[in-house]
Order: sequence, then C-alpha cells, then structure tokens
Amino acid sequence: MQLHPRHFGRNLRENLVAKLMKDVEGTCSGQHGFVVAITGIENIGKGLIRDGTGFVTFPVKYQCVVFRPFKGEILEAVVTMVNKMGFFAEAGPVQIFVSNHLIPDDMEFQSGDMPNYTTSDGSVKIQKDSEVRLKIIGTRVDATEIFCIGTIKDDFLGVINDPATA
Amino acid sequence: MLRADEEDASELKIGDDFLKAKCLMNSEVAILLEHRCDQMKHMSGDSTTQLPQVLEKSLQYVKRFSRFTNQGSVKQVREVLSRYQLAEFELAVIGNLCPENVDEAKSVVPSLKTKGRGHDDEAIERLLNDLLMVKKFE
Repeated sequence: MQLHPRHFGRNLRENLVAKLMKDVEGTCSGQHGFVVAITGIENIGKGLIRDGTGFVTFPVKYQCVVFRPFKGEILEAVVTMVNKMGFFAEAGPVQIFVSNHLIPDDMEFQSGDMPNYTTSDGSVKIQKDSEVRLKIIGTRVDATEIFCIGTIKDDFLGVINDPATA
Repeated sequence: MLRADEEDASELKIGDDFLKAKCLMNSEVAILLEHRCDQMKHMSGDSTTQLPQVLEKSLQYVKRFSRFTNQGSVKQVREVLSRYQLAEFELAVIGNLCPENVDEAKSVVPSLKTKGRGHDDEAIERLLNDLLMVKKFE
C-alpha cells in the first residue's frame, strides 16, 4: 500500500486503513474475485521509502470478504433481462448469462412487453425479477467484472417457487 | 493457482486459497455488510451517502437470498452444519440453498457423494433435519 507523505503523523494508521478501503474495496481479480468489504487488519509492516518520490510503501495484511463464483457452483440469482437468445441474471456484482440452449427444452420464449420463458402448460415462467437457481459452467474475469455462463438444465435448477423466499 | 479449466466446484477443486479460506453463507455476509454500511454512513455523517457499487449490489443480493435473518439462528446454522465434517465451501452452499431432501442436497453439492467421506444418505438426512429445525424455530 502506497501512502503520500502528507498523511504521515499521528493518524498514519487510520489514513492507511482508509486508503486501503478506498482502493481495494470493489476491485476484482481473477484469483480472488470481487473484494466486497475489508473486515479486519491483521498487521501493518514497516514502511519502505521509495526513491525519488517520497511515497512510502507499507505492507498491509488484511482480511476481507470476497465474492468469487466457481465453475460447477450452484447459486441463486435475480433475472435482469430476457430475450430470445436466453436471459441475463445477476448475483450481486456478478453477471450471469443463461443461453436458450441451456434452458430446458420444454420452455418456450414468449415476446411482448414482458418477454419470458414459459413451459407449455404455463406453470413455470421466467421473466425479469424472477429468482432462479442456476449452475455456473464457465467464468470470465475482466479487470473490473466477472462474467459467468450458467445453466438451468439440470435437476433441482430453475425458478425458485418456494413462497418463503419469494 | 488453478488453471481455469481445472476448476470444478462439484469436485471441490476451487484452489488452495479458497479451500483454506472461511466460506460465509449469504446470511452471514448480510449481517457483516449491514454492519459495514452503518459504519460508513456513520463515519460520513449523513445517511444519504452513496455506497460503493460493489458493496451496495452485494448487500442487496445477500439480503434477498438470506435464508436466516436473525443473528442467533445464523450462528446456530453454522454450529449445526459444522458437526458434519463438511468442507467450508460445502457448508456455505448448503446453508445458502437449504436443500429439502437428500437427492436435492446431493445434486447441489455433488462432492458429498465422493466415496470415503462418510456422508451416506442417512447422515445427509440427519443434517437436513437439523437444518430444518433451526429454520422452524427462527
């Protein structure tokens, strides 16, 4: 963690922690996923002065909550957009796309004001704001976001109709 | 670090870092983030401050999908589940999804079926019953 000399003084530690939170929270890496929130600082090591700039680098060990979807993981998400190619869902900051090949064959796309996928008997419907349980089959990580491909074509996947969670 | 194509949560291949890390359930994260947001609002002095987007979105998500809302029962769930020699990751998935029967549990957490881990159907059944109890008495 690099700190400008103007922050030195009595509040060094607080400033360092504040800057860490500002810089690290919300970032995303391939290995660890999204850093959602820092929960604790384990220790702050000795600072090292950088030649030429006056900046000081401190090694900081910290604990944080991260969000990282795994291939093969099953999770719940909220549908955000439905079109004839499939639908997009969101699990926190992570975007998930479920292609129409990965939606059960008995579900048909219906266009209109509220595009949706419906079974032939109309008992199950996927539309915007539906809650679905899906399985991640692929992930792609950018510098700022994680994008996943999901499927609902498996046992115990699909719309969550448990009224307790609706 | 594992290469992307070697990763498979159904066989519990999630990389060393994450196997060792503590996996939290949505309900636990909700409590944690809620606390953190309060803290941030408190620090900035007014309640209208914009929260960072990732934090905001994550909070909304975990709140929407929390099975347990009061702190006591969240704690209890972890206690109950940790009696069954589950990996951290499995514990979190079961706690998040609350499967209703043995088949569902085995389907959402396929690593339970791995041989030699002592999770026969009976044990899973007991686990789910315990979980149901906590939910009932919430």
